[in-house]
Amino acid sequence: MLSLVTRRLIRLVIVLAGVSLVTFAILQVSGDPIALMMPEAPEADRAVLRQSMGFNDPLPVQFARFLGNIVRGDFGHSFFHREPALPLVLARMPTTLLLTGLAMGLSLAIAVPIGIVSAVRRNSAFDHIATLVVFLGTSMPVFWTGIMLILLFAVRLRVLPVSGWESWAALVLPGATLATFSTPLLLRIVRSGMLEVINLDYVRTARAKGVSEWFVVCRHALTNAALPLVTVAGLQFGLLLGGAIITETVFAVPGLGRLIVGAIRQLDFPIVQAGVFVIALIVVLVNFAVDMLYIYLNPQIRVR
Amino acid sequence: MKRFILFAAALVLALPAAPAPVSAQKDTLTVALVSHAPTLDPHMHFERVGILVNINMFDSLLHRSTKLQFEPSLATAWKAISDTQWEFKIRKNVHFHNGEVLTPADVKYSFDRVLDQTKKSPQYGNIRAIKEVKVVDAETVHIITDKPFPLLLERLVFFPIVSKKHVEAVGDQAFGTTSPVGTGPWKFVEWKRDQLIRLEAFDQHWRGKPPFKHLIFRAVPETATQVAEVKTGGVDIIRDVSADLIPELKTHPQAYISSTPILRVHYVNLDMRSAPFDKKPVRQAANYAIDKATVIQKMMAGLGTQVATTVQPLAFGFDPEVKPYAFDARKAKELLAQAGYPNGVDVTLHSSSVAYRPVFEAMAQMLTEVGIRATPRMWDPGPAWNKFLQAEGKATQGMYGTWGNYSVFDADAVLHPLYHNEPGGWIGRWYARVEGLDKLIDEARSTVDQPKRKRLYSQIQQMIREEAPSIFLWTQYDTLGISKKVQYAARPDEWLWLYDAKPAAR
Repeated sequence: MLSLVTRRLIRLVIVLAGVSLVTFAILQVSGDPIALMMPEAPEADRAVLRQSMGFNDPLPVQFARFLGNIVRGDFGHSFFHREPALPLVLARMPTTLLLTGLAMGLSLAIAVPIGIVSAVRRNSAFDHIATLVVFLGTSMPVFWTGIMLILLFAVRLRVLPVSGWESWAALVLPGATLATFSTPLLLRIVRSGMLEVINLDYVRTARAKGVSEWFVVCRHALTNAALPLVTVAGLQFGLLLGGAIITETVFAVPGLGRLIVGAIRQLDFPIVQAGVFVIALIVVLVNFAVDMLYIYLNPQIRVR
Repeated sequence: MKRFILFAAALVLALPAAPAPVSAQKDTLTVALVSHAPTLDPHMHFERVGILVNINMFDSLLHRSTKLQFEPSLATAWKAISDTQWEFKIRKNVHFHNGEVLTPADVKYSFDRVLDQTKKSPQYGNIRAIKEVKVVDAETVHIITDKPFPLLLERLVFFPIVSKKHVEAVGDQAFGTTSPVGTGPWKFVEWKRDQLIRLEAFDQHWRGKPPFKHLIFRAVPETATQVAEVKTGGVDIIRDVSADLIPELKTHPQAYISSTPILRVHYVNLDMRSAPFDKKPVRQAANYAIDKATVIQKMMAGLGTQVATTVQPLAFGFDPEVKPYAFDARKAKELLAQAGYPNGVDVTLHSSSVAYRPVFEAMAQMLTEVGIRATPRMWDPGPAWNKFLQAEGKATQGMYGTWGNYSVFDADAVLHPLYHNEPGGWIGRWYARVEGLDKLIDEARSTVDQPKRKRLYSQIQQMIREEAPSIFLWTQYDTLGISKKVQYAARPDEWLWLYDAKPAAR
């Protein structure tokens, strides 16, 4: 048990170091931020700044300095915000986590019951209609779904705000938009997972004991079907963070995605580094949590 | 389960308490910008979205009227004492938002702050010709330049004056984030990054209180969302309404459109160092090949004006006697044959102007029709384009672009970056090779004798129209979408000077 946790933690550190190296390398080949910082200054003035920011040092030196600073939690000062990068990134985290958490919760709330009913009543009209509706959702790109929802609920029906993050009502549309992206796969996983176990011996045995059908389904079948669901949900979380960038743009949500995209456009290295690092950390932690959940759900893993 | 509930509760707390939707209130003006600038410190960025916010919080020495005349602002009077020395009288009894009174020392401090290279201000290049700012007496400041600097007054229209005492007390970082203090019509209340900047009318503002008590700048990156906001009253003013969206807002019962020609010229800069654009007839042929009137009518909703060169009608030095190239496909073909390309020639053109992609592609098609077979290449406007530009033009024969003179209404602000070969300049040093042009540009920028400058610029415009270092296209309009609750009109300098905005009479 302990060694499993240790192994996972070591993997976590390796992933983060790898992500930092890749981001650093990509940023190095993506251009010169100084030219963007001083648009009308002559080359001589830019050279001074370049020197003072250490851009003339050999790359390995720059990377080593960068890694050393990270360990101390220092991602450097944003070139454009003139503030330390990490606090800027962390300030945006709650918003993005709330958005992705909302979408994930909504997805699960839709996918699990519908998936169970679809499996229990396989090939019924409900099964077909549910599949059709959910897949309509996923066939549309996120930004399009978002704009359609705005036009319907905000412009035509006037029941929700168009965009922003100032009230609870403003969370509904971005949450729903992002959920349309993640629901279908989860639904499929629940449905097929349930189908796999629903006719197994132990389920039949439970039924034979005279336990009520819903108790059988929820207690005996679902616990086993939940394993693949948890795995996929963990992976989906990373994808949702990516999808959140588009959703944040459409709905003017002040999240991490917009900060990073803006920083990439301006080659604001410290912000990009800190942002990618924090997102990678979250994804790795979520999957770490998934692993732990596995142990809880499936005692066999504990023994191995 | 308990843990989960705790986590959910933590997320709930992360959402700020929700105030009532402010935009619906009558004394509030809400503006949508695509983004917020990285700082509210008016000296430490050089981004349009930041300037638009800053001008409503800070005053500069000079102001510009909607007719583009210089007007007094914090300076009540100004004059050139010599070619390199200017005198400014500073307005008395002007209060900063924190109650302090403006002094000439604040003016000097503001300039010194940007000129101090350790502060790395992106505006340093704008005013680096200034050698010294001297406080002469309690109401007089002298600005001394290292050589004649005819653009000085232009640069002073956006050069916000900050409080020396306040900035030194709170420090640069706090000044740019939590406590910006100026003398402008609105004072700072709060800033939620990429969400909203909330300002409140400053009672002691020297012009008098502005008509709207609250001013909010929301960051709404997506155009479709902005348009939906204007329609539903969530936002009162949106910028850069594209041609395809204009009819939609024009006919909407809650909104109207305000449009005006602005200082932004479109061009294709041609690489004069290499074939085929090293030959003058080919460059002229390219100018004759473009049907500018059709593009403006069909693709830009009529919101454009043909130009003879890149010097625009709104800029000082513009000469109306120099006429635009007419659309003449036959002449273009003749010129091309004359240059030794009777069977045409292949070229590649580059652009990063996403909003004008259809125009760029239509233009490539028009060139192709006369025999300049142009392949248009679009670049992502971010790092990819930046890197492409820094490859020093090695890879290109032509570049489609737009130039807004950085809001300097003077011919120099387009001629120098586009055509001057000075190392360290902009694309001119790679693309343009017009004999004698550098010397004329230098001569015109090194005197403050305006009639003389005007003559020089006429000469330059005739010269570049003939030599055609660019395909000269058109100037653009700025189009605002405005809620009918608000009275406001687009300005030729693309400013949102919201002191002029009024609640509509109903």
